[in-house]
Amino acid sequence: MAGSDLFTGSLDLLILKAVSWGPRHGYAIGQWLKQSTSEVIVVQEGALYPALHRLERQGLLEEEWGVSETGRKAKFYRLTPAGRRHLKSELARWSEFARVMTLSLSTERP
Amino acid sequence: MLRRIFHLGRYQPSAGEEVQLELEHHLEQSTRDFERQGLSPDEARRAALAAFGDRSTIEAQLRGLRETTVRERLTREWWAEFRQDLRVAWRGLWRTPGFTLVALLTLALGIGANSAIFGVVRSVLLRPLPYPESGQLVQLWTDYRAQNGRTEPEWLTPPDFADWRERNRTFEAMAAYGGWGPDLTGAGDPVTLNGLAVSGDWFRMLGVEPALGRSLLPSDDDAGSERAVVLSDGLWRQRFGADPAILGRAIQLNGEPWTVVGVMPRSFRAPLAASQPEAYRTFRRPADSRCGRGCITLRAIGRLKPGVSLPQAQADLAALSRDIAERFPETNKGVAPWLVPLQQQLTGPTREPLLALSGAIGLVLLIACANLASLLLVRGESRARELAVRSALGAGRGRLVRQLLVESLLLASLGGALGLGLGMAATRALASIVPESVRAIQELRTDGTVLLFTAGITLAAALLFGVLPALRSAGGSPMVTIRGGSRGGRGAGRLLDLLVVGELALAVTLLTGAGLLLRSFVQMQRVDLGYRTDRGAMVQLALPRARYPDSTVTVAMDGLLATLRANPSIRTAEVSDVPPMIPGDQDVSALAVGEPVTPGTPGSVWYRSVTPGYRAFLGYRLVSGRDFTPADRAGAPSVGVVNEEAARRFWGNHDPVGRVLRLGSDSDAPAITIVGVVGTARHDGPNQHYKAELYLPIAQAASRGVTIFLDTPAGRAAAVTAFRAALKEFDPLLPAGEMTSLADQLRESTAPARLNAVLIGGFAAVALLLAMVGVYGVMAYAVAQREREIGVRLALGASPAGIRRLVLGRGGRLALAGTASGLVLALALAHTVRSLLFGVSVYDWQALVGGPLLLAGITLLASWIPARRAVRLDPLVAIRAE
Repeated sequence: MAGSDLFTGSLDLLILKAVSWGPRHGYAIGQWLKQSTSEVIVVQEGALYPALHRLERQGLLEEEWGVSETGRKAKFYRLTPAGRRHLKSELARWSEFARVMTLSLSTERP
Repeated sequence: MLRRIFHLGRYQPSAGEEVQLELEHHLEQSTRDFERQGLSPDEARRAALAAFGDRSTIEAQLRGLRETTVRERLTREWWAEFRQDLRVAWRGLWRTPGFTLVALLTLALGIGANSAIFGVVRSVLLRPLPYPESGQLVQLWTDYRAQNGRTEPEWLTPPDFADWRERNRTFEAMAAYGGWGPDLTGAGDPVTLNGLAVSGDWFRMLGVEPALGRSLLPSDDDAGSERAVVLSDGLWRQRFGADPAILGRAIQLNGEPWTVVGVMPRSFRAPLAASQPEAYRTFRRPADSRCGRGCITLRAIGRLKPGVSLPQAQADLAALSRDIAERFPETNKGVAPWLVPLQQQLTGPTREPLLALSGAIGLVLLIACANLASLLLVRGESRARELAVRSALGAGRGRLVRQLLVESLLLASLGGALGLGLGMAATRALASIVPESVRAIQELRTDGTVLLFTAGITLAAALLFGVLPALRSAGGSPMVTIRGGSRGGRGAGRLLDLLVVGELALAVTLLTGAGLLLRSFVQMQRVDLGYRTDRGAMVQLALPRARYPDSTVTVAMDGLLATLRANPSIRTAEVSDVPPMIPGDQDVSALAVGEPVTPGTPGSVWYRSVTPGYRAFLGYRLVSGRDFTPADRAGAPSVGVVNEEAARRFWGNHDPVGRVLRLGSDSDAPAITIVGVVGTARHDGPNQHYKAELYLPIAQAASRGVTIFLDTPAGRAAAVTAFRAALKEFDPLLPAGEMTSLADQLRESTAPARLNAVLIGGFAAVALLLAMVGVYGVMAYAVAQREREIGVRLALGASPAGIRRLVLGRGGRLALAGTASGLVLALALAHTVRSLLFGVSVYDWQALVGGPLLLAGITLLASWIPARRAVRLDPLVAIRAE
């Protein structure tokens, strides 16, 4: 699947998930996306950043400037309490959606 | 692992730099990974860029997003902090109810009074007159200064007005008007209306429309046209029951039928500095030509063409007047136009007192602010520890200053809101600062501008009294303050002293000004007017031309006076056609026969017709010659009596008795032989100048509009009843005017001076009270600060008297510094009230000494209580207190 084909909101959900274990910078989030979806979901790397900034503006992520593993100044993203709540409810919604979709699509006869 | 670089660092990168930094980091990481896969650095970089996508577009998009995010966050944080500051401020004020109450009251009074006075200033001086494009309206006067040294602007002569109106190039329209006082009969009791005679284009020039029917038109000006009258809304309602069918009907005015053609709207106001007319008519005749360019009889207003300035119009009419002067040098040599914007014409006289009041109340607010600043400083000292703790916990200095300013702002806003309410109520109470005739045109009301002004001074006050204490309180080093307890710096003491000295100085200025006005008012009461104001009563009467032809006026008047004199409740009845202290002077050009005409020779004289007993009844002093007698009647040689001013100006040092004065500029003008000289009188009220005046016997110079002066041996009420009865018997159609007295008129003419003195005196009293509270606060604070020192001194054997001297001495020094600088300020500002003073120099020593002395006394009194407390300190308690 190409980036533009992502289900609405699923990129946001993936990003929130990516930072749920602790602060990460943009590149690391992109890498995680690639690996965790076995490179099925390929986002043009640059397209990640507008999403990150939007989430920050919505108050779901907050920035934290730090030093990356290579010793460079980097902008890290971290979940805000609101972001964590949002992630939780979206996960539940997604699971339900996926379950129903799978169920429905795997029906063999009408 | 993570350090908060940008939170601790001073450098704040811009949104663009941040975005660039973030993306560059991404590309570096990406390049490194590609290198690991075996690509060369250049190839790796290219691959990273390719994987990233369109960098410049994304960067631009991110920069926009980033900027919005930062802005929104800053705004959010700012409001959150502001709300928190407000909560803290509210709790702080709530915790100290005494301080809060005093501060709120001070502010409410200070801001409220300013708001009220500004409400009047706005209504009267700043709001445009209620006519379309009212800025284009100009009052037209004639300037005779170059001709005969008269310093006041004069009305116009009909021929001059006609020339100006026809030949000017700068006016859209010019209209004339003059007094008219017709008797209305056949609609309830007979009554003398307050009317106005206007030229036909007067209404059109003002740009006003009637509520009913039509207004007057130029066609109504023809002598042959139907008599047309326009009614005011008030008269229409009172006398005609607001009946719309009145249009086209005739009403009886002076015994003649006049057709009502229109009714003006309730909101219409005529642009007159006199009471509002109830009925309007046109002149209905060609301009009065009987005395030509010598008779100053018309008042006029003009409307400038769009875009024409006042100087342009002045130049236009001046050129015209020079041309007229060349053709008629005898009457018009040196005569020039004198144009005054209508707004200034109508509200000008209220300007100076209003500005003086505004200045005075502004000073009161300044004093109040100084007072609050010192209260806040003292409060800040007692809170120093709290602030230091907050500062140590990480609140920046800016944050603390802001917190304290929010507190001031909250205080000021609450005070301002209270003050606005007070002000709106007070604006109405202040109405009598402004003459009723001005209020009739410009109603006093609180509008948006006044609200804005009040909000403005509230904010200004908050900054004035808040900034200094905030900077000072937030400024101390936290460690020193926490360790040293609350009895910190002496710096606050010096600031407090400065504030109190400033407060005292302003109070001295106000007190001095109030003293000057008060002395002026007293002087005004003491002025010798030249006639008695304590005798009897007066009532106005007019004999309409329709029923009293010229030949019958004298006989009719004599008959009425005889009836009145025969009545035991009246006994004395004397007449003057122009009474003292009621506007309505009449003047005529005059020439002393046989005297050389030199520059400075007066060209005219103010005259009035009187009965033979008038002078004696009102107590004018007879200087030389004789009084009028009943023998000075029509047919006998024409005689006159001049006042000392006229005698001096026409005849210099010679006794004018027996000399001749020629009145009017025509060749057949009457010649008057002077038979006596009377003392000069101030006929226009105590604060007016002397004029050259001539008295004529009413039998020789008949007048149909007169004032009758009556004695009231049985009291005013009995005289009123007797007069009404006599008048009814004499002519039941004549309206009985309202009975007043010269004492009433005098009170009215000095009322503005009294009110000014009372108001500014009141302001000064408030200033004095505030200053006293301020001094008390500072001295009490100083004693509290030095309790330990005083305790030690007492323990070491200092005498109570010595301690008292210590405290009082400080109060004395403050008083001295305050009064000295206040006197300098007062002297610098004195000239601003010069025009309000009467009979008192701006350097009047009583005012200049009295105010400061009063203040110095009050200051010492305010220091007395803290001094007593200092003396009664228990040394042991004071020293242990730490």
